[in-house]
Amino acid sequence: MTAVVIAAPKAVVPSRAMTFGRLLGLRFLRALGSIAVSLVVIIALWYAFIKAFGLNPLVAKDPHAVWKYLVSDSSASANRRKIESNLWRTLADAGLGYVAGTITATVCAIAFVLSRTLERSLMPIALVLRIMPLVALTPLLTLVFGRGYVATTVIAGIVVFFPSLINMVFGLRSAPQAATDLCIAYGAGPYTTLRKVAIPSSLPAFFTSARLAVPGAIIGALLAEWLATGKGLGYLMLQAGTTFDYNAVWAAVVIITTVSVIAFAFVGIIETAVLARYGPAPARGR
Amino acid sequence: MSSSVDRRSFLRRAGGVTAGAVLLGGGGSTLLAACGSSGSSGSGSASGGAKSFGALNYRLSWIKNAEFAGAYIADTKGYYKAAGFSSVNLIAGGPTADLAETDVTTGKAFVGITAPDVTSAAILKGAPVITIGAQYQKNPFAVMSLASKPIKVPEDMYGKKIGVQAANEAVWTAFLKARKLDASRITKVPVQFDPTPLTKGTVDGWFSFITNEPNLLKVKGVKTVTFELADYGYPLVSETYVVLKSALTKDRDKIKALLTADIKGWKGNLADPALGAQLAVNTYGKDLGNTVVEQTLESTSQNSLIVTADTKKNGLFTITPELIEQNIKTLAFAGLTIKAEQLFDTSIIDEVYKEQPGLI
Repeated sequence: MTAVVIAAPKAVVPSRAMTFGRLLGLRFLRALGSIAVSLVVIIALWYAFIKAFGLNPLVAKDPHAVWKYLVSDSSASANRRKIESNLWRTLADAGLGYVAGTITATVCAIAFVLSRTLERSLMPIALVLRIMPLVALTPLLTLVFGRGYVATTVIAGIVVFFPSLINMVFGLRSAPQAATDLCIAYGAGPYTTLRKVAIPSSLPAFFTSARLAVPGAIIGALLAEWLATGKGLGYLMLQAGTTFDYNAVWAAVVIITTVSVIAFAFVGIIETAVLARYGPAPARGR
Repeated sequence: MSSSVDRRSFLRRAGGVTAGAVLLGGGGSTLLAACGSSGSSGSGSASGGAKSFGALNYRLSWIKNAEFAGAYIADTKGYYKAAGFSSVNLIAGGPTADLAETDVTTGKAFVGITAPDVTSAAILKGAPVITIGAQYQKNPFAVMSLASKPIKVPEDMYGKKIGVQAANEAVWTAFLKARKLDASRITKVPVQFDPTPLTKGTVDGWFSFITNEPNLLKVKGVKTVTFELADYGYPLVSETYVVLKSALTKDRDKIKALLTADIKGWKGNLADPALGAQLAVNTYGKDLGNTVVEQTLESTSQNSLIVTADTKKNGLFTITPELIEQNIKTLAFAGLTIKAEQLFDTSIIDEVYKEQPGLI
């Protein structure tokens, strides 16, 4: 495989599709395996933690109590419905935040790569969003953006934005010099070079950001729900905590953690699929 | 608080516990300081206070503001020591703290200050706690609005946005049902505890403690209007004492001791609301940045929630059976179906006054 990724020869595609399919299958199995291992480790640590600190079972629920709450109790289906409806809201909040944060970060990163001046003048502003604790910023954001989807999108988006921006700028700059030179030698302008070389080279960085950003978006969404919108799992946890409903708190934590782990693994699968096709050579065939 | 009263009750108890007098030690000397009276009074009291309960872990329902004036006075004047505690550890609550019920359940605190709606929810979820008395006889919740855009009666909330804290949602819901208000016509907005959004106009009403937020804004020069839930068919005591149910038998004397100290402390604040406010601002809640002016307003207005015709007759923190019945009915509106005996046990506070009638 060549170092330049500009356009893969068509003839190679069928044979590569086979390896690609196998690769994806393997990756999927590996993801399932890692999810299973994480679950076992989490459950073991969970029991160990409760035991080690001698925590009160009325407050510190163990995996069995959560299982009962979600699966085997008589009220389990009602409990599940409550968690599920809130979960969808949280996922929507996190998803919108992720998309908004990533698009903004990508646009900014491209602008920064094209113009150093822009980077120098705007990066400090981006940094402010990172430095200010979101908990302190949220009341201000709700004043501006209200208490609906716009607010959650902005808050979750801010969590996503900064790490994605830094990664993307780095990724866009990591294009192989030889490939850039080749484009320039053929008379390509900065935009063509960006499209043909820099963006494909930045794909690994894009996925690294995604792995950071997806759990980040979920945290941002929970925070926004807790402080601003009063909907979703973030608020459910707060409300349950103030009514001694520790089963609901723990169950919500378990569900959102599991979903985060799955989302993280899912990003990995997409990463493999995309990088195998379009990524720079070193990322392929892993 | 008069020392003759103390002596009388202590002497009576001393008759039964003569051996206790041997244990005088440190307790006796602090008692002297506390009573500030003659030596005979001191030693007389000491035999009662000779029981040593160790340190008292006392969980407050909120940050250390004037809301706990009585406890600050009791601590400063040595009433807890006089009652047999080596020290008192006042644990602050607040918007991010666990429930007082949680701290009591897990043993982090011996006693907690809370509200019956939270306690009922906790008991129904299996928390082994019980309410033994109430500081506020009247419900402290109110809806505050700007004087320029007033919400004078509950029905004025229709079509308005009301900021309600997550922790207070049970009370809010119960009130709407008790007053038969149409919840769909009111927009509930989740807020935290700083009432700034009201002044900025993002909400029209603010769910408040009548003693707290209105006074905060008053000293900032913001004119507000409030209506109190208590005035619109919402009888629910507040600032209630919770302990473990097992403590009712196991630590009965310890509970009596702490109630006795608190009664004396609160009587001190009823007599001089500024005293508790000063202690809150200058000592216990020093880092909160409150002002004595505002905290004195709070301390004064809360005294009117504590003293009623019933407490004048039966003593502070007592709850009459009629009031308990009303409370249970109010809680049922919030979907909290609980029996009176599951939630309340007033036998200890009643005993305190039976043994020390001078405390009333």
